[in-house]
Amino acid sequence: MDFIIKQCVAWGGELTTHQDWLAYAQGHKGLNALHELPQLKQIPAMQRRRLSPFAKLALHCALTAADECLETVPSVFSSRHGDLAKTSKLIEDVAAKEPLSPTNFGLSVHNAVGGLFSIYTGNKAPLTAISAGEDSFFVGLLDALAKLTANDYQQILLVYTEQLVPEMYQPYIEQDEVGIACALLLAPARQALIPVDDKATIFSLSMQANPAQQMQENPNMQVLEFLKFYYGMNELNKNITTNIHSKRHRWHLTRSAN
Amino acid sequence: MKELQVNDLSIEVKKLIIDTLDLEDITPADIEDDAALFVDGLGLDSIDALELGVAIKKTYQVKIDNNSDDSKKHFYSVKTLCEFIAGNRS
Repeated sequence: MDFIIKQCVAWGGELTTHQDWLAYAQGHKGLNALHELPQLKQIPAMQRRRLSPFAKLALHCALTAADECLETVPSVFSSRHGDLAKTSKLIEDVAAKEPLSPTNFGLSVHNAVGGLFSIYTGNKAPLTAISAGEDSFFVGLLDALAKLTANDYQQILLVYTEQLVPEMYQPYIEQDEVGIACALLLAPARQALIPVDDKATIFSLSMQANPAQQMQENPNMQVLEFLKFYYGMNELNKNITTNIHSKRHRWHLTRSAN
Repeated sequence: MKELQVNDLSIEVKKLIIDTLDLEDITPADIEDDAALFVDGLGLDSIDALELGVAIKKTYQVKIDNNSDDSKKHFYSVKTLCEFIAGNRS
């Protein structure tokens, strides 16, 4: 499936700008466990007060990447764990027989952040929320590309978000995780949409089942593998493929200069 | 003495509102006793009403019936909330 990436915005591990991610892809910068959250000053305080750290990461990237089409762009929100800090607090309250917070309950569903995005922007376009284990990033991308193609959309927004899981769930985590959000504004790679003189980079995604059925998850988050690939672009390696294995799949991401 | 107790409760309730509803940049002094809490006044919404009901129940062991006309009166302002709590707390 061919596509172009009109915008890429990522925030995590103290890396927040394109320059930061370029430096990361070149191995000059690493990820820190702790990081500041986006301020989101554009959202009125009365709406902002309900945003969890998870929601702030997601909305910052979504609003920045889709700035040109906030009210109309269809979207896919993907996350492996979702806003688990919120969910586990609710579960603890249930166990302690405490009354549940109605606000936290309402905002704990997997599509809550997509809902907040829709309310803030007034966007009524189709929106999906996805969770697919360690493959959540690429399955989100696959879903976005399928919708883009099947519906002939001009563009679609993919928002992938992850927060470190609460301590009690940490022993079950196999990957080296970091709190991060990454939003991509994707468009079809139709020639008509790309100006002739624009040296657009065309990406292509394909996947197959992993016949080896590895027992272990890939130690690296797919979103970080993607960002390394995306920001690793330069004049010397215009055409290149990256292969990313997970327990169940093999993902192939290719880019070529137009 | 009675006057002082009501005043203390009013500040306590204002702090409860601010903490429960994560009202950034608002202090108890910014909330007037008689001003409307919802819509026109402080700008709280129906989810806030539910949230506040839970917090008041937890803090003062006072139960407020949802959606009754009485509960709308009790939730009108800090003053009406304080009167309701003072009259019903155990």
